[in-house]
Amino acid sequence: MLNLIQTEFMKLRRKNFIFLMMLSSLLMPLLAVFYFGAAKKADITPMQFYKWSAYSYTPWIILPVVLGILGTMLLYDENQNDMLKQLWIIPISKLEYFLSKFFIVFLYSVLFMMITAVCSMLAGILPGTIPFTADSVSYLFLKCLEIGALAPFAMLPVLAVAASQKGYILPICVTLVYTFLGFILLMVNMYVHPLSSMTAITIKDMPGVVMKQPVDLKSAFLCIGIWGVASIICADVTLKKRQ
Amino acid sequence: MNDTVIETKQITKVYGEQTAVNRVDLHVRKGRIYGLLGRNGAGKTTIMKMILSLTSITSGEADVFGKNVKGNEKQVYPRIGAIIETPGFYPNLTGTENLEIFAKLRGTTKPRAVQEALEVVGLPYRDKKIFSKYSLGMKQRLGIANAILHDPELLILDEPTNGLDPIGIAEVRDFIKDLSVERGKTILISSHILSEISLLADDIGIINNGVLLEENSMATLKKKNGKYILLQVSDTAKAALILERKFHTKDYSVQDTHTLHLFDTSLDMAAINKALMLEDISVISSQLCNDTLEDYFKRVTGGEGIA
Repeated sequence: MLNLIQTEFMKLRRKNFIFLMMLSSLLMPLLAVFYFGAAKKADITPMQFYKWSAYSYTPWIILPVVLGILGTMLLYDENQNDMLKQLWIIPISKLEYFLSKFFIVFLYSVLFMMITAVCSMLAGILPGTIPFTADSVSYLFLKCLEIGALAPFAMLPVLAVAASQKGYILPICVTLVYTFLGFILLMVNMYVHPLSSMTAITIKDMPGVVMKQPVDLKSAFLCIGIWGVASIICADVTLKKRQ
Repeated sequence: MNDTVIETKQITKVYGEQTAVNRVDLHVRKGRIYGLLGRNGAGKTTIMKMILSLTSITSGEADVFGKNVKGNEKQVYPRIGAIIETPGFYPNLTGTENLEIFAKLRGTTKPRAVQEALEVVGLPYRDKKIFSKYSLGMKQRLGIANAILHDPELLILDEPTNGLDPIGIAEVRDFIKDLSVERGKTILISSHILSEISLLADDIGIINNGVLLEENSMATLKKKNGKYILLQVSDTAKAALILERKFHTKDYSVQDTHTLHLFDTSLDMAAINKALMLEDISVISSQLCNDTLEDYFKRVTGGEGIA
């Protein structure tokens, strides 16, 4: 498994698009600078700023879309170039193969959210929009770490679809539908869609956030867990079937 | 002692209503090169995929090193190097980087394994050219390098010279021969190019429309089918009658009204000529010929020849 993960890193050489996608982590912090700069309010709290720059559209939309594209790209080359048969006769376990891809998505997601945290902090403090407080910054980093760690688990169904397809069109379409569905279902039922459940977990204790229904952590984790396990099983089965 | 490395027992593959491979019994012996010869679409790749358990077998059994591959992958696969169809690699990486990935995944301990494999196939080590910029021939060479990277006992090569130039084909052929002769590797190679198989293989299996028509050693095949007497006469029908009446043989085939092939080469050519002339049949020529493998292939496959 360790060898598989190491080779996953080796495969990323010259894949500039994957690193360029990381730039999208700057989007919301930059927008926050312009938004709060234009508002010219004097009493902006760090929480208000970070909600905008790090806790809202980044985990709801940007991060899932980026992770969906990343997962598709990681699986695309081997599928498209008919490389799987060469990997299977090494031999490599289908489950370990899938999990090694997931591990890269996981690391990428954590790194993405850490960059978001750093940029949010700099974008708020450097122009003087918000003051530096150790509490708000540590909360920001912890929350971003939490989002970064949970999002890949919530994106497992998309990764399973990408593993079952030779092309990239369907997995990308599924990523978009899945992401927006998660956003919409957040207002309806938080425990049906893994992305909604992830949002419920991350905003549960967030000051100033009032939910329509009380957050049940057990149900949220159960939702992510069930979808995750089902996705891993499906990916394993489809990879075996495709052989 | 059983020296059969690959043994298939009545393996059959059915896709929907089409039978791609029909009850094939294949026997690849240790240290020998087995050439699987057949037209495009004859079922060669499917047989190889079934042997490697890359596709399910509809019925029958395929054993490698005395074991069914399915369920014994961890024991059997490390002893095999294979190229099936066009070898695919990561397009954003160089040949060296690609092989380093496979070496790591295989747990290859030899430090110069990648360099040596590339040297064998004539590709540069640590070159900056990425795989997507490779020519078809270079891709094929890299595929072979990957197959021999871990020094396997058995090589399964599906049309390994596809896309290579004539010099490249000769180089790969020599290299495959060396692997078998000097290092004692067992090799199963498929091709639709007759000359290639005839120059390389110790044993040959002729497959057509998914059916293994003949399996024999190349030596036996040459002995059995190599020679015949070519008779060019004024009337083949009359000549055939004389052969049957006077020489008591039916081992001939009439090619056209003037040409006849007599496969019983033990007969006295002078006596045949004399007998024909006495019956007023003009003998334009009579000579001992060697049947080419292509002629034989045509005969075995019912005249279809090779693609």
